[in-house]
Amino acid sequence: MKSLSWRKRGFILAFLAPTLICFFVFYLYPIVTVFLTSFCKWDFSNITSPQFFGIKEMWTNYKYILQTYPFFWEGLRNSVIWSLLGLFLQIPIATIFALAFSRKMKGVKIARNIFIIPNMISTAAMGMIFLQLYSPLYGVVNPVIRIFKKDFTENILLLKGPAFWALTFAYIFFTGTTTLMILGNIMAVPEEVREAAMLDGASGFKQDLYITIPMIKGTLKMVSILAATSGFLLYNEVFFLTKGAAGTYSISYIIRELAITSPKTQFGRANTVAVIQILAGMLIILLVNFIYRERKQKKRYNEVGEGA
Amino acid sequence: MKKRKTVQRESAVTRVVSYVFIGLSLIIALVPLIWLFISSLKEDPLARPGFQLPESICIDGYISTFRDLHVMRYFGNSMLIAGVSVIISVLMISMSAYVVARLDFKGKKLINAMLYSTMFIPATALTYPVYNLINRLGIYNTRGALILIYACSGIAISFFVIKNYYDNIPRDLEDAARIDGCGYVQTWWHVIAPIAKPGIMTAGVLAFLTNWNEYYWASLVIIDRTKLTVPALLSTFTTSFRTNYNGLFSAMVVIILPPILLYCIFSKYFIEALSGGAVKG
Repeated sequence: MKSLSWRKRGFILAFLAPTLICFFVFYLYPIVTVFLTSFCKWDFSNITSPQFFGIKEMWTNYKYILQTYPFFWEGLRNSVIWSLLGLFLQIPIATIFALAFSRKMKGVKIARNIFIIPNMISTAAMGMIFLQLYSPLYGVVNPVIRIFKKDFTENILLLKGPAFWALTFAYIFFTGTTTLMILGNIMAVPEEVREAAMLDGASGFKQDLYITIPMIKGTLKMVSILAATSGFLLYNEVFFLTKGAAGTYSISYIIRELAITSPKTQFGRANTVAVIQILAGMLIILLVNFIYRERKQKKRYNEVGEGA
Repeated sequence: MKKRKTVQRESAVTRVVSYVFIGLSLIIALVPLIWLFISSLKEDPLARPGFQLPESICIDGYISTFRDLHVMRYFGNSMLIAGVSVIISVLMISMSAYVVARLDFKGKKLINAMLYSTMFIPATALTYPVYNLINRLGIYNTRGALILIYACSGIAISFFVIKNYYDNIPRDLEDAARIDGCGYVQTWWHVIAPIAKPGIMTAGVLAFLTNWNEYYWASLVIIDRTKLTVPALLSTFTTSFRTNYNGLFSAMVVIILPPILLYCIFSKYFIEALSGGAVKG
């Protein structure tokens, strides 16, 4: 290979520089800090100078988080469940809606446009709206429950068990943007492929299942990663609906609680949770990659379906 | 994008099932919003809970909201912060993604891996270091702090979407441009970037929505009430409207109105952008 000309070198460097600076300042430096200080005593008593526990005691924070801190396992379990629900509930829902919107029928366009509205008004606003819907005083959910259980007056956001699902249902069905990205890929599937499938006798759901879905695998993988990660990092909904009450802590919410809300400002311990969160996040990406791994006989379709 | 010539005939079963899901999508999207609007017209939501209609229409809440709340200010803050940060980040990413997608150089794989790795580094995990950085830069409690944070976060997703798009553009186009005497920057700006526009727009809209929704940082780095974004303002509602439910509902309707209006006006572009240009709005 010829050596690069100085012009090319300069171009590459100039175009990469902003992103790289941002990467180093915003990701690399903080990650190193998070990792190192997770082994430090660092709270309100020594806020300006984190102190290493020493080789012998270096796992002190980890021990505290894993064994003593009351909400860690609850938060981790919830975050993992939300992540899995993103993968196995939200993405199938989004795909079904996208397939329905891909039909050439009357009213599809309007319905599609309306379906995206909840995604426009921010998750914070949707959280606030659901907080009102769940209100035992003037909400909609309690009158419905009272049809089955006459004297039900409790707040379902404060009941362990129902609270988790109430929180989940407050966001999981609003898949507008995901649906639209999938729909975009469905529409980009070449017409000839569909026609060939029709000739082979595959139409309607059969066509969806055997032709369309394998062809949009690239997009499905991307939105799956997004859904799994955002489920794992769920924060807004927890903050606006329950503030962690009734067994609804999430891992993100724990970090905030330890570092910012807690009167002891336990930065070291918060960063310990952060390290665990980063590692778990990596596992989730590996899981998604495993689910969407290339299987040999289907490879032909994937290559065609990379578009959009 | 070419128009489809043959009209597909869907079978009756397919049509019915599809309509069921379309109906369901409308229920999901509209029921909470309609209920919110109905409740905002009730003088005392406590007296007529659930889906009961108001006995008379009460607009006191709306009057006081428009008089006291300055919704447009917070809406403006959110638009400014989300908008500027998206422009910065998308420009930055479309430059670096181009270099990584098209040119060969040492360390390319490493850069690729580094940028992808940011995907699973959650912002919440970086709370303290970034908080500290903002303080040291002396921009704590300014809109600039949020713009900086938003511009630098979510690199991976934009990078993913935009690079994917570059990869699908035939290389002949660049070669032709190079033969015509275009420099690297010109080739990118005049030839490749316009073709990759749908991909860049998708990334931009996704990033905009993420920033628009963002509450975690917004609540951490900004204290002044006048600089709050919409999500941060919303978090103050439960205390500021303690028992004035009519006021609370009206304020919520007013706060969700500007984005809905904006969406109604620009839905065509928005839908095209988010679907990579494949769906016409």
